[in-house]
Amino acid sequence: MRIVAVTACSTGIAHTYMAAEQLVKTARHLGHQIKVETQGAMGIENELSREDINTAELVIFAADIAVQNRERFANMKIVEVAVQDAIKNPAALFSRLAE
Amino acid sequence: MRSRIPPPCSAAWPNESPAPAMIAIDFAFPLVNGLHARPASLMQEACLPFAAACRFCNLRNGQRADVRSILELVASDTAAQDACRLEISGADEKKAGRALRAFLRQDLPRADDNLPPPASATVQAAWLPPVFQHDAARVLPGRALAAGIGSARALVLQKTRMVPLGFASGKKDAKKELRLFQDACREMEAELRSQAAAAKNATAAAIMKAHLAMISDPGFRKRISGLISKKKTTAAEAIAKTTATFSRTLRSSPSAYLRERAGDLEDIADRLYEKLYGQSTPYSPRTAPGAHVVVAASLPPSALLSLDRRRLHGLVLGDVGLTSHTAILARAFDIPTVALPAPAIKEISEGEELTVDGQRGLVCREPGPALKRYYKAERSKLQRQGLQLARLKGQQAQSADGCRIEIAANIGGAKELAGAWRHGAEAIGLFRTETLFLERDTPPDEDEQFAAYRQAVISAKDRPVIIRTLDIGGDKPLPYLSLPQEENPNLGCRAVRFYSEQQDLIKCQLRAILRAARHGNLKAMVPMVSAVEEVRLLRRLLAEAGAELRERKIPHAENIEVGIMVETPAAAFFLDRLSPEATFFSIGSNDLLQYFMAVDRGNAKLKDLFDPLHPAFLRLLFQVAAEAKKAGRWLGLCGEMAGDPAFLPLLLGLGLDELSMASGQIPKVKARLRQLKSDECRQLLQRAMQCSSPGEVHEMLRDFNDQPVEAEVVAPELIRLDSTSRNAGEAIKELCDLMELGGRVHDSKALEEAVWRREQQFATDLGFGFALPHGKATTVKSCTIAFLRPRRPIRWSGKNSAPVRAVLLIAIPAAAKGQEHLKLIARLSRRLMHEDFREELLSLRDTDGVLAALRQCLRES
Repeated sequence: MRIVAVTACSTGIAHTYMAAEQLVKTARHLGHQIKVETQGAMGIENELSREDINTAELVIFAADIAVQNRERFANMKIVEVAVQDAIKNPAALFSRLAE
Repeated sequence: MRSRIPPPCSAAWPNESPAPAMIAIDFAFPLVNGLHARPASLMQEACLPFAAACRFCNLRNGQRADVRSILELVASDTAAQDACRLEISGADEKKAGRALRAFLRQDLPRADDNLPPPASATVQAAWLPPVFQHDAARVLPGRALAAGIGSARALVLQKTRMVPLGFASGKKDAKKELRLFQDACREMEAELRSQAAAAKNATAAAIMKAHLAMISDPGFRKRISGLISKKKTTAAEAIAKTTATFSRTLRSSPSAYLRERAGDLEDIADRLYEKLYGQSTPYSPRTAPGAHVVVAASLPPSALLSLDRRRLHGLVLGDVGLTSHTAILARAFDIPTVALPAPAIKEISEGEELTVDGQRGLVCREPGPALKRYYKAERSKLQRQGLQLARLKGQQAQSADGCRIEIAANIGGAKELAGAWRHGAEAIGLFRTETLFLERDTPPDEDEQFAAYRQAVISAKDRPVIIRTLDIGGDKPLPYLSLPQEENPNLGCRAVRFYSEQQDLIKCQLRAILRAARHGNLKAMVPMVSAVEEVRLLRRLLAEAGAELRERKIPHAENIEVGIMVETPAAAFFLDRLSPEATFFSIGSNDLLQYFMAVDRGNAKLKDLFDPLHPAFLRLLFQVAAEAKKAGRWLGLCGEMAGDPAFLPLLLGLGLDELSMASGQIPKVKARLRQLKSDECRQLLQRAMQCSSPGEVHEMLRDFNDQPVEAEVVAPELIRLDSTSRNAGEAIKELCDLMELGGRVHDSKALEEAVWRREQQFATDLGFGFALPHGKATTVKSCTIAFLRPRRPIRWSGKNSAPVRAVLLIAIPAAAKGQEHLKLIARLSRRLMHEDFREELLSLRDTDGVLAALRQCLRES
């Protein structure tokens, strides 16, 4: 599966990146393709391109605050979770995606 | 400050008509704390030698005062920058006018130089860590008056204020009553004088002297005497009424400092009652077995002094301000002290166990085991901080990149030496010798001066001592010097300019200097130089002084270094010609600024122009520094701007060799210096010199000073394996304390608060045996990670949470501009998602290993 994701926690210092790393690690382990954009204290990094978004089958938001430029994902299937859920229990998140 | 005859000030002190002023001096009150007891007593001293009547008038509020009455001065309610006027009339008014003008310009602005900073222990306990919340009922919030933590049983002192009834003499005999009152005053004066002389603590002595000044105050005495002799009241009633009048004025003052002086007056009144009526002191020192914390709604300074301080572990006071003498004494004696509101203080009963928290401004009653552990940790932090400060005191002053600047003290006499060394001075950069010559009928002789200078070099133990030769002129009249009266003494025959007429006086000083120079590293410095001949004259006098000593076979140094004060623009542009005559230069920035800007520094209307950050003045300083370097001469700066840590980046940018300042400023300046990099400061100075106004420079400097400090994200002192912390609260406190001890945050309490506010959104233990608390706050100086491994796993967020075996605390400055550090933190956060890295951090045996693992992770890209 091709997945795009955005992570964003309230301070943007640590959890944004922990969640991003966890998503990448778990997705690869499960054989998915994933690209994760971080919206943290350093602003937007690893920004998702139009092509990334157009070719993705699924969107994950692991965010505790409003995701910026959300309109990019109009009409797409979005799974939204809290940042800590993505960090603590990524396996559960991905099994939900499979459904 | 020009003399003129203005209409006399209209408002008058009750029952007195305004005296027609013959000489009037207008000035803006220069001290931030207003006209409190210390400057008032200096003003009183300044006018004592003269017969002329001296009146003070605050033009803002119309209050008038006799300058000989400290109480009336203090009660004039004068705040910083109030427009004020001195009116002087009488036989020697011209002489008095000159002396007072000099006093207002030179001495008054320095009166508060060594006042302890009032803001140091004022943090209001708005937010408290969770450990306090469990025990909330036992925690009484108040205000910190003196820092530190003290625990012991409560000893409650109670006092009932009462005014004795009846005549002290037993019957209505005004004459006898008056005599008894005057006897009591004299007796008290004698007592205070001997107590002040015997006091081992300088602050205690100063407070005794302030009380002495109050009891000797003519305004205070005259009113009481008047009531006794004219209104035929009892002595007690007269004292009570007068005290009440002055207290009322003091208490209604907008200045907290003045309000608190009312307590001093009441203390004096109580002691007078005791003398007159034999009533026992309301606070006879009570003995209590063992250590105790004294609890008292009000505690006069005399009562604090009578307590046994060895057993006094803390003070809980009523509504007392930070600048009350009792609070000042408590700080001087390092007694943790907290002020509580009246209802709270009544709750405390004798024998209760109390912890006085002078850090957060709290009192804890019967603290439970968790709070006890908290305070144990807090005490150990304070102890380590004390050790660190002691170490810093002995360290060489240098910038972060190793650029060395000598940090020296300005002193006015041998009495100030001990304070200078205590604050960590590396030299005496300016010994003002005028004080030896003032307020006396004959000049100090060679031996007297020798004794003072020798004391300075001996106490300096090889550290340099720079003695400024006599800096006096027509504005500071000395009875034994017939200096001509001048229209404009500041531009007249002052300092080196009168040396040729007073060669004997100067040679006497130089002989004393040469004799003292045998005992250490002594140098002489000539003030107010604007021509080469002036320095040559001094060198000739120095040679003659040496020859005279040789003839008299008195041991002395053959030669000493002679330096030049750069305080006239002429000298500033003439260093190349002056340097063959001197081995060093020191910029007297106050006078240089005044002469360069053509602004009288006492003139309130022009105070915006008297700004050392004027870009033109910075250019001048830059020019002086460049010329000194070209000539290969050592260059110092000994004006007011040297002691302001905010100005330090610009001064470091100048590449000076030395900064000399009021002793109290030294620790702050040294600490700031260690954070600065000389190349950045040089660039800053270049930019500042290109600004168009002082305001722009101030803004640029503010931005620069607010920048986070550069430091590595991890450091060995920020890693603690084998921690005894038992829960999240203890671990967070321990890590925040490590940050403060490591110099990464100004105030660990503010970081702790930021971390907890984050933690309360959701706990940062993420289920891998790791917790990652973090916070962003202005108190953080640089992006930092601290690491801790508890001995036993911690249940971070409640009984059912997974055990935490390692805690990484991340601190981010609120104004984090550079992204570099944030990137490092992001990288570390990502790495923590990998088990191999976590295993490494959990299993490595020593600090070095953990440090290496963290560093490696931060380096990887």
